[in-house]
Amino acid sequence: MSAGGAGGGAKGGYPQQTIMAIGAVGGLAGIYLGHFMPPAFSFFGGLGAICAIVWGADAVRRVASYGLGTGVPSIGMIALGMGIVAALFGLSVGGIAGPIVSFIAAAVIGAIIGVLANKVIGMGIPIMEQAMVEIAGAGTLAIIGLSVVIAGEFTYGPVIENVVANGYIALIFIIGGMGILHPFNANLGPDEKQDRTLMLAVEKAAIAVVIAGFASSLHEGLMAAGLNIFIGLIIWAFAFMKYYGLVKRDAHAVVGTGLLPSAEELQ
Amino acid sequence: MIDALMANIIWMAFIVIGGVLISWSVHFVPVGGAPAAMAQATGIGTGTVQLAAGAGLTGLVSAGFMMNVTKDLPLILASGAVGAMIMIAVTMIVGTWVYVYGVGCVPSSAKVKVDPITKYRQDLYVSQGTEGHGLPTVSFVSGVIGGCLGGIGGALIYYSLIEVGITAGLSVGASTSVTGNELVGIAAMFAIGIFFVNAVIPSYNIGGTIEGFHDPKWKKWPKAVISSFIATIFCAIVAVIAISQLGGI
Repeated sequence: MSAGGAGGGAKGGYPQQTIMAIGAVGGLAGIYLGHFMPPAFSFFGGLGAICAIVWGADAVRRVASYGLGTGVPSIGMIALGMGIVAALFGLSVGGIAGPIVSFIAAAVIGAIIGVLANKVIGMGIPIMEQAMVEIAGAGTLAIIGLSVVIAGEFTYGPVIENVVANGYIALIFIIGGMGILHPFNANLGPDEKQDRTLMLAVEKAAIAVVIAGFASSLHEGLMAAGLNIFIGLIIWAFAFMKYYGLVKRDAHAVVGTGLLPSAEELQ
Repeated sequence: MIDALMANIIWMAFIVIGGVLISWSVHFVPVGGAPAAMAQATGIGTGTVQLAAGAGLTGLVSAGFMMNVTKDLPLILASGAVGAMIMIAVTMIVGTWVYVYGVGCVPSSAKVKVDPITKYRQDLYVSQGTEGHGLPTVSFVSGVIGGCLGGIGGALIYYSLIEVGITAGLSVGASTSVTGNELVGIAAMFAIGIFFVNAVIPSYNIGGTIEGFHDPKWKKWPKAVISSFIATIFCAIVAVIAISQLGGI
């Protein structure tokens, strides 16, 4: 079974360096802004998470275009599996440099798994090592960014208390994973276009921010939570309309099928 | 940091053993992927990760439940194994009902001529253009073995992480606050993270589909086990440090 790509590299669109820079720099900047600003501005963490998720979705797009042999979701799940281990490790030892330490730890674990996948298992995907590093880094930044939305900061103690102990981390795990794995999974095929895939990533990430915003009401109060949800909804609406436009652009034709025919019409 | 690692070296060894067991267990689970969802390949109609995660997390929950009442490791591992086995067996039996009574096909394997357990002929019943369909007996038995190994692995990782936290001075006692228990939360999340890493590595090894231990692809398991062994060592180091730091807060 060859679920996923056609067996070649992904083509076209923005160069990967640009996306990488947006994801890494934007993600870290959003996380630090969310941390240092007052709790009401924790939505900056969400903006950082959106950048990271877009980067992760682009990395998934590039590696899954080669055909993983199994479904695209697997790579999103390994991204968040590596991400959650690296994120909590970095925050626990890094102090104020926590997100950067997490990012480096994720890159190391990602590189190890990428090398193992190519050298031991023999997947033979030329960009596997690099893509695993990128995916692990993006997953880590997405988790920390959404944690900042809920906890208002990324210091280890508050994150453990407000995000991990009450189980919101499981929510972050799945919605962050969805943002990274779903865009390419939904758009793959011969007519896949990078801008359409990435716009879907923005839309999914905005939903993640809205859900994290709801979760943040427990710790940050209704005002900050309302602002988080509001920002998320605005980005979602914008991205959804944009994505719908791109779908119409790429579709051969958009036709209404009408309602189901009634029993008399079928006679 | 180093002394925290040295103090927990035995638990780290258990975590690595757990990761290796999970990686091995995936090779037993009859995963059909998307083709099986259309009854065009033998196995359960979803991906490795979903199945392994479903069985493993059920094992984690049942192991955690047993930890409520005892600290006896064999009992906890048995509880985890039974939870995962029940989960995977229920998934497979309901899947078989759907294939037999819904799709209307005979459970049959395309990889072997006769079922190694029941000795029934298989090749006569495989529909043309498919790679088998449904879940023959050998796949079912193999899946239950996989669930058992995965459940033991998940329970072992979770138990070890909890013990690391107790060594660091944390408690697992019931908490009445809305924020829950720190140690249980972080140990569960690390266990899930390590579980997913070790479920995806073998799924790349088997190329997405496998029928069970009678499948020729099953013989590739050492590759995935070695990879998981190396990857889990790093995950274990990171997890033990993170949980030990929790004791200082």
